[in-house]
Amino acid sequence: MTELQTRTDVAVRAEHATKVYGTGTTAVTALDDVSLEFPAGQFTAIMGPSGSGKSTLLHCLAGLDTLTSGKVFVGDAELGRLTDRQLTLLRRDRIGFVFQAFNLMSTLTAGENITLPMTLAGAAPDRDWLASVIERTGLAGRLGHRPAELSGGQQQRVAVARALASRPQIVFADEPTGNLDSRSGGEVLGFLRGAREEFGQTIAMVTHDPVAASFADTAVFLADGRVVGVLDRPTAAGVLDYLANLETAHPEEGR
Amino acid sequence: MIAVTARSLWAHRRRLIATMLAVGLGVAFLAGTLLLSDTLRANFSRLFTQADAGTNVVLRSATEITSGPGGTRAGLDASLLPRVRSVPGVADAQPDLEGYGQLTGRDGKPIGGNGPPTEAANWIPDLALNSYRLVAGRAPRAGDEVVINRGAATAGHLTVGETTTLLTPQPLRVHIVGIATFGTADGYGTATFTGMTLPAAQLHLAGSGSARLTQILVRAGPGVRPGELAARLRAVLPGGVQAITGTQLAAENLDAINSGFLGFLSTGLTAFAGVALLVAAFSIYNTFSILAVQRGRETALLRALGASRRQLALAGLAETLAIGIVGSAAGWAGGIGIAALLKAVFDGFGFALPAGGLVINAASAIVAVTAGVVATVLAGLVPALRASRRPALAALREHAAEPGRVSRTRSVAGLVVVAAGAAAVIAGAAGGGEGMTAAGAVGTLAGFIVLGPVAVRPAASVLGAPAAALRGLGGRLARDNALRHPRRTAATAAALMIGVAVATMFTVLGASLKASAAHGVDRTLTADLVVDQGGYGGRAGLAGFSPRLADRLSRLPGAGTVTALSRGSVLLGGQSQTITAADPGRIGAVLNLGVSAGSLGAVDAGSFAVSSTVAADRHWRVGRTVPVVYPDGSTARLRVAAIFGHPDVTGDYLFALSGWRPHAGQALDGTILIRLKPGVTAGPARASVTAITAAAGQPRVQDRDQYLASATSGVNTILGLVYVMLALAIGIALMGVANTLSLSIHERTRELGLLRALGQTRAQARGMIRWESVIVAAFGTVGGVILGTFLGWAVVRSSGRATLGAFAAPPLQLALFLVLGVLTGVLAGIRPARRAARLNVLTAIAAA
Repeated sequence: MTELQTRTDVAVRAEHATKVYGTGTTAVTALDDVSLEFPAGQFTAIMGPSGSGKSTLLHCLAGLDTLTSGKVFVGDAELGRLTDRQLTLLRRDRIGFVFQAFNLMSTLTAGENITLPMTLAGAAPDRDWLASVIERTGLAGRLGHRPAELSGGQQQRVAVARALASRPQIVFADEPTGNLDSRSGGEVLGFLRGAREEFGQTIAMVTHDPVAASFADTAVFLADGRVVGVLDRPTAAGVLDYLANLETAHPEEGR
Repeated sequence: MIAVTARSLWAHRRRLIATMLAVGLGVAFLAGTLLLSDTLRANFSRLFTQADAGTNVVLRSATEITSGPGGTRAGLDASLLPRVRSVPGVADAQPDLEGYGQLTGRDGKPIGGNGPPTEAANWIPDLALNSYRLVAGRAPRAGDEVVINRGAATAGHLTVGETTTLLTPQPLRVHIVGIATFGTADGYGTATFTGMTLPAAQLHLAGSGSARLTQILVRAGPGVRPGELAARLRAVLPGGVQAITGTQLAAENLDAINSGFLGFLSTGLTAFAGVALLVAAFSIYNTFSILAVQRGRETALLRALGASRRQLALAGLAETLAIGIVGSAAGWAGGIGIAALLKAVFDGFGFALPAGGLVINAASAIVAVTAGVVATVLAGLVPALRASRRPALAALREHAAEPGRVSRTRSVAGLVVVAAGAAAVIAGAAGGGEGMTAAGAVGTLAGFIVLGPVAVRPAASVLGAPAAALRGLGGRLARDNALRHPRRTAATAAALMIGVAVATMFTVLGASLKASAAHGVDRTLTADLVVDQGGYGGRAGLAGFSPRLADRLSRLPGAGTVTALSRGSVLLGGQSQTITAADPGRIGAVLNLGVSAGSLGAVDAGSFAVSSTVAADRHWRVGRTVPVVYPDGSTARLRVAAIFGHPDVTGDYLFALSGWRPHAGQALDGTILIRLKPGVTAGPARASVTAITAAAGQPRVQDRDQYLASATSGVNTILGLVYVMLALAIGIALMGVANTLSLSIHERTRELGLLRALGQTRAQARGMIRWESVIVAAFGTVGGVILGTFLGWAVVRSSGRATLGAFAAPPLQLALFLVLGVLTGVLAGIRPARRAARLNVLTAIAAA
């Protein structure tokens, strides 16, 4: 996360992003003036304890939720200025998603799930690209299977492949390993890391798992809706230390 | 447990509203039917009691020619009157002579347009014995003076002091001197009434020179009980004359109406109400099945916390009971509106029902509400029991879902039931009788319902193909979603299937009736022009033309053969039969009767011709003699002179006019057939015929094709009525489709959210749900059309009647049903689709 990056090298950017739920005495500030850039080609992990606002941040960055004030840019597009339809098309064409669970359409095969965004757009997939993505999933032989016939890890790799298939500007992953055992989780994270290494895919991943964060280039720490720290080239141990320091450095942040 | 049930109902209230509505609509229809029947019965009863209030005893012939309301009896001799008047206790006895008299309105058109009866009679001066009351003017004194009923006066824009034409059937110029009401009503239903002096009635309404009366009305002196007076009269009357009290007559008339028209009406309506309730029951069953699955975890939790199966089943029962009671009570209230609506529908289709306020009985309320509650509880019980049987842990662990697979047992059982049902239907059609056909039909329907879930996969694959081809992924997902819960899809579609099947069956029956009639008339009619009045009166011999009309038409330059057909009723071999009388020497020129034995030329005053069907039934051969009782009460033995194969225009019995007319009372020609001379074209000839017939009440003058078309037009009226009745059932089915879809969408919130997150536009989301709705609706419609066509075929084949000899499935109408079914799907999908598209993506995903 450097200040030197030029605008064109930034995939997604938040400026003074604030999100308040509710009004009056019951108002809860989920995001408190967050300004953040996600450099193109980088794998960024967003970390923080429960209720720190990391999921809200992800939803707002992806255009699934709207900000109370501030701006979010995906490339050159400011999300606040887009209509619902334009937002939908932006999600379809420029953003990839990996959710924690219930990621796949149960009535479609794995292969069909991978090409789903393109099918929705009525666009033909880039065959070569698709082939190389599928090859990386290691599921080439199981494309005709329905999600129910795949393991959790396999399902999540299909979801990652789907996120990559349309060559989005950025892939948002929301606790992608939250429902998986450590081996399956490792495979999924390896797949994401590989996409960053080989294809230069920009990735933003919300996680609370230090091991998952260690696959990223940078870890951004959130607490109480604010960015409280950034750690480049994180390791699992480094992240744990950092989190422990955060606890002692900002004990009153818990309010 | 009750508290838990109440909470659960309240929490799901929005989803249960549609269910209650379905129950309510079904009950409303049933309640409306019952209310209408009660109301009509009360109104008829009042009408009869009122009309005969002052008549203590009625004398009439014991010989009943036709039974039922408006039935005819042989007449009485006017010479009885002095004898009756001399019996002690008789205050007054008045002759009553009734006949046909068509009034024409100020515009020259016949009042009532040839629909309801047009009665003329002598005006009875003894007001206690007269059913009509003068409300303006005075009683007739001269032969050309008449009193008419207020309804006719209003319809024809006639007032006291005006002159108009009365067709009896010769045109008479008459002066209107009075206006009367039937009791307090404007008339007897929409029938018109003309009262004239007794001499005028004897001259115009009785047969040539006959002094026969329809009946004699007797008023008892003070203190004389009607029953006692009737007994006294019986003692002095000759054999063959009946004396009954006015009360008995009113009861008889009411019985006749109850077992005839009213019975028919309420049976028919109740059947349609039953269809509506059955359809509603499917909707209820489906809603509860889906809710049971969706609440699987709650149920499991309750089980884990120690609720017994019994408790759960009872809770389910309490729930359905609550819904049944609330829905049925609301339906009962709605039934009052439906009764009014039904009456309006019948009036709109030309049935004249007596007026009067709504009669609300406790009995009808109990029947309707009970039927609604029982249907709801039965439909809701199965899912409730099924839910209570699920092992607690399984429900907690598993992701809630109905079984997606269809059991082999179901496939086998369904096929067996369908095969057995169809076999019974076919056996019935092949001569096994209508009972077997009916039993087979029920079996086939049940089999279709059992087999439904099995058929969903192949059917939805085929029906969904266009969706997938046209709408790509959205279409494919729609199809897959329809396939996901075969039982649910099948039950939803079954509701629609039942409605469509009944509609299809009636359509096929109607088309077959038309085809049979058209085929029959086509092979028989060789005349070029047909003059008739249309309507029921003309066919039953209760209305018609003067014989002079045919004479005048035969003098037209282009006319070749002109023959009149006169209709009426006789007792033939002890049974009441409608006969046609015609000139046997001429009828061969206008009708091809397909004579197979004897000859038409041999039919004379002492013989008749009979259709081959009846001849075969009753084992009659040419030369056989049969006893006959004519409408005037005289008897004879008639010889079978000919047997013919085409009874389509004449009916089964053909008499010679020369033998019929002396015994028939008023001379009425129902139909006039005209064969033109060679080289004369029908168009100009028709114009000159119309010019002559205009004065005879502007009857229809039709060429061959028009007559063919009009011979079947009554079928359309009945079909129209049937469609209106079924529209409600189909409406309920439509609500069922919408409700099931809404519940399914609720279940698939996460998936819908995922699709939207991945870039499905709102329009795409809407399209996907709409297509699913269309596939389900199309499935039900196709099933219904197939089932209905099959059952229609079976009914046609098993009826064995000549009027239903040909089977016809109208492709255009059946195709229209399919299109309408698809439209139903689109309609049912609108709200669920809108709701699916409105889902908030974030909350939908968070629902995980």
